[in-house]
Amino acid sequence: MKRTGSAAGRRIPRLIPRIRGGVHPPDSKQLTADKPIRKMDAPSTVVLPLRQHLGAPCSPTVGKGDRVLVGTVVGDAEAFVSAPVHSSVSGTVQNVAPYPHPAGGEVLAVIVENDGENEIDPGLSPRDWKKLDEDGIRRAVRSAGMVGLGGAAFPTHVKLSPPRQYPIDTVILNGAECEPFLTSDYRLMLEAAEEIVEGLRIIMKAVGAPRGVVAVEDNKPQALRAMAETIRDPAIELRSLHTRYPQGAEKVLITTVLGREVPSGGLPMHVGVVVNNVGTAQAIARYFRTGMPLVERVVTVTGSVVRDPSNLLIPLGSSFASAVEACGGFSETPAKVIMGGPMMGLAQYTLDVPVVKGTSGILALSSAEAGYEILREPVCIRCGRCVQACPMNLIPNYLAIYGHREKWADLERLHINDCIECGCCTYTCPTRNPIVQLIKAGKVELERRKALVEKRRKDKAGAEQGEGGGDGGR
Amino acid sequence: MMIVAEKMLVTVSPHLHKKDETIERAMKDVLIALTPAAVWALVVFGFNVVYILAVSCITAALSEVIMRKLLKRKATLRDYSAMVTAVLFAFLLPPTTPLWVVAIGAFLAVGIGKELFGGLGKNPFNPAIFGRLLLWFSPLAVYTTKFVEPFFWKTSGFFTPIATSINEGAVGRVVYKTMAGNPVDIATAATPLSLLKSGKWLPDMVAGPTPVGATWVTSGGKPSFWSLFLGAKSGCIGEVCILALIIGGAYLLWRGTIDWRIPAGIIGTLFLLTLVTWYHPVYNLFSGGLFLGAFFMATDWVTSPVSKRGKWIFAVGIGATVFILRFWSLRPEGVALAIFFWNIGTLVIDRYIAVPRFGEVGNKVFNQLPALPEPAPEPAKKRA
Repeated sequence: MKRTGSAAGRRIPRLIPRIRGGVHPPDSKQLTADKPIRKMDAPSTVVLPLRQHLGAPCSPTVGKGDRVLVGTVVGDAEAFVSAPVHSSVSGTVQNVAPYPHPAGGEVLAVIVENDGENEIDPGLSPRDWKKLDEDGIRRAVRSAGMVGLGGAAFPTHVKLSPPRQYPIDTVILNGAECEPFLTSDYRLMLEAAEEIVEGLRIIMKAVGAPRGVVAVEDNKPQALRAMAETIRDPAIELRSLHTRYPQGAEKVLITTVLGREVPSGGLPMHVGVVVNNVGTAQAIARYFRTGMPLVERVVTVTGSVVRDPSNLLIPLGSSFASAVEACGGFSETPAKVIMGGPMMGLAQYTLDVPVVKGTSGILALSSAEAGYEILREPVCIRCGRCVQACPMNLIPNYLAIYGHREKWADLERLHINDCIECGCCTYTCPTRNPIVQLIKAGKVELERRKALVEKRRKDKAGAEQGEGGGDGGR
Repeated sequence: MMIVAEKMLVTVSPHLHKKDETIERAMKDVLIALTPAAVWALVVFGFNVVYILAVSCITAALSEVIMRKLLKRKATLRDYSAMVTAVLFAFLLPPTTPLWVVAIGAFLAVGIGKELFGGLGKNPFNPAIFGRLLLWFSPLAVYTTKFVEPFFWKTSGFFTPIATSINEGAVGRVVYKTMAGNPVDIATAATPLSLLKSGKWLPDMVAGPTPVGATWVTSGGKPSFWSLFLGAKSGCIGEVCILALIIGGAYLLWRGTIDWRIPAGIIGTLFLLTLVTWYHPVYNLFSGGLFLGAFFMATDWVTSPVSKRGKWIFAVGIGATVFILRFWSLRPEGVALAIFFWNIGTLVIDRYIAVPRFGEVGNKVFNQLPALPEPAPEPAKKRA
């Protein structure tokens, strides 16, 4: 395994294995790739949803009328898989009420009126991670409210706490950014390479991994160069990946970088790997340097209908509308606004939703881009394009057909839960079948049915027990 | 400045779709790929080919429109799939098939073989082969199993329509007549495969001139390599010129419309089996409808397996079946029958041939780790 070493050179080893399947959508990154990250001022009101991560939602720790400062905790939870939420502005809590969430539905949120002073919480101070032990780093990362910034928003401290029976030997930093349009990770790699590498070293220390890998797709040569110039540590390698979607999917990335396959139903730690986004690493390093928890993030605001597409450093809780306004607004009415990239992002019904920790991009599509003509009634013509494109080697067309026909047993037989929902199948389908959409619906329905069966079984057992007890009592 | 967007579209991801990846494009590709073979057929069999193609296409289009109207389905004529079926069906016919037989067959192919089963995507059999085999098993078979020698139009005229007609004098024999009913002096010729199957070469029946003037049979009476490869032989309209079919197939492979595994599997298997049994390997490859079937019929999206592994099984199965039919059976249409059988097999293959999915434990050395997944770790972490 070649290594891009300290002074030795700028050679970036090209990774030979290609990913299995996948697609190559036009990346459209040129809209924002050359725009440096620009700090955006917080709007007059910020909305801080108390669920910005996977896992248990937080409970509010402040009430109506309380004064909060930048970095003050406004919500926290007892559960392990959770992350606290901090205020991104200083001001007064206007209300604690349900508010539309970009991931759908309404979520309890702390609504803060910004006083514009940007007064920083006095309790925050830089910390030296070199003096902390593993557990100290984990606790610090949790208190910073750190979650995966790639989009899934999984609490980072959970990733950093693998059980002892799974020793971690490699930490991979995911700089693939395979979603079209998004450039936030790319800009970070250009502008904050130092912090990214430091973040990687913090993560490596927290999980006790001797090796770190920074993996970047080869359509970002400048980012590769910037990282190569920054990496001094011989324990850290830089890898160039083939440009192909979904290269940045965790399981796919581990396979291309290390040749290991995460077992079906397993996690990266089962093959001794922890994967983090480059943005997460940068945020961790920044937290230790400044003491400021996760209160802002880089968001790519882009799309052909945005007047001035840019990479913005947005205080969390700012509305999508304010972010678009900071980019000059729309040149025409967008047909679709998406949080995230076009392949896995979530379409929004309103711009009055806050930027959350998982918002990697705000993408506005014109009606020409968003709409597509369905030339005939959707029918599977069994061309096998989706089977070729599936990185998980599933048979998406049959999953969709069985999902449509409600054949739940067949869905399980074809391992529907291995699907990573990357959307390659739908992207490549000549008849525009909603394949991944049907798979997602099938997963939810299957889960619901399983829960129902389990509940019935329990109820039955409970009823039998109750009857027995009653008889005994008589 | 406009900020609040009204009536925004909300759909589930992905929000991008591949451009130019449509059925229409694929079907147009197939039509383009079939052009060289059609042009060569025109050279060998005269303008008769055009009459047959026209009747086949018109009937197929009408069948599709009428059947879909009767079955109350959306019109799908503009996806060109009926045209592809019509051209492929015509390619499977002898060049002197009466036009009314062509019309019946095209209706059977598109109206019954495709639309009655539910339309494109739901048909279990390749429609062209379905129509061809129905004709073959029907009393009309006599019109579709007799072949004329190549360049027969030299005696009857390039534009004169010639059709097979039953010879009242001898049962099983046919004569050729023009549209007006005038008998023409054209003889029935044996196809290269029937020569092979009859076990003896019949020099006097196949001798004839080529465009360049040389005879296209070798001294032993069997067609020469070049006449087989370039298509100076009797046979069905579309199958004669191997070179044209290879050009068309290469175009489809380049466009990514068909999967290389299927033609490679079929041709490779037949070649290997004939090589092992020393049953005229090259002769076998270049005669009959093997290349037409391998490149254009077996690769039909709808009726071939979706997975790579399934495609290999399907292709090798077809190759082996063709070999069996050619080795032990005297009947023609071996390739069509083989593909028909394996169209049925496709349903079984797709259902029971497992694909090695990503992350199957034990699939790779690295995965031989503890049994997975473990219960989640205890929530022992204290808040900082």
